[in-house]
Amino acid sequence: MSGPLIAFYVIALCVLSCAVLLLSARRVIHMALSVGGVFIGCAALYLLLDAEFVGVAQILIYAGAITILILFAIMLTNHEAQEPPFRWNVRNVLSALGCLLLCAVILLSIRRTAWPVPDASVDINGGNSNPVAIGMALFKQYAIPFELVSLLLIVALVGAVLLARSRKEDE
Amino acid sequence: MAHLFQAWNNELFLVIFLILGILLPVGALWVLGPMLRPARPNDAKRTTYESGVQPFGDAHVRYHARYYLFALLFVVFDVETLFLYPWAASFHQLGRFAFVEMIIFLFLLVIGLVYAWRKKVLEWNE
Repeated sequence: MSGPLIAFYVIALCVLSCAVLLLSARRVIHMALSVGGVFIGCAALYLLLDAEFVGVAQILIYAGAITILILFAIMLTNHEAQEPPFRWNVRNVLSALGCLLLCAVILLSIRRTAWPVPDASVDINGGNSNPVAIGMALFKQYAIPFELVSLLLIVALVGAVLLARSRKEDE
Repeated sequence: MAHLFQAWNNELFLVIFLILGILLPVGALWVLGPMLRPARPNDAKRTTYESGVQPFGDAHVRYHARYYLFALLFVVFDVETLFLYPWAASFHQLGRFAFVEMIIFLFLLVIGLVYAWRKKVLEWNE
């Protein structure tokens, strides 16, 4: 076994246990924390695949911002309701069957796909590291879309502000 | 041999830092701490620390909706920060044009921040 393979199995184990913890946790805060764990584990997987920029984006946006957004949304809502104990009724059996079917479909499609192996002799990054290559593409080839991103962000910001304002005026 | 060590170097450092990162807090909190500190707990010591104020109620209360707006603003500026990363990494190869691009990008977002400021979103008055 090589180093990256061992690392992959360790990280995959962490991600899966965080995901199971997310489903089995009783408290919503614990669920939000395990979502954070899943996101960070995925970031580690991206780093393992040499996708440094995606890994950093995953940590910064998902583990940082999205987890906080989920956490705040949880804190705003009323979550004192108690979950009824689990029972094997028709609905639960049907949803378990559906989940198994979905799992089978995904597994089958993964097995059936011929994953193309990139030619190692061709360096798609042009000799640069991954973030540098993305930077070169983003600021040369895609300069206009990049500037449009800032417009999109402004729209999001103004939308958030307007929503908050209208709520305040209703009070 | 030297070549093999080079190839393993990065991963080796990662593993060392991972082990250190796990061992240090575990060792300090669960191994060294209980060995060094006296353990004589009583009810007053066990209460939640709230800066000297008597704790009351449940920790899981509902928060003010105003916090959510700050979270949304944080997401916007977090995405902005993300774009600074490839820009900084490729700065030397890109030159002046990319610098101007990023200034325009940041300027547009500063306009958004000024808008939020003018709308008194950043102020906290009941």
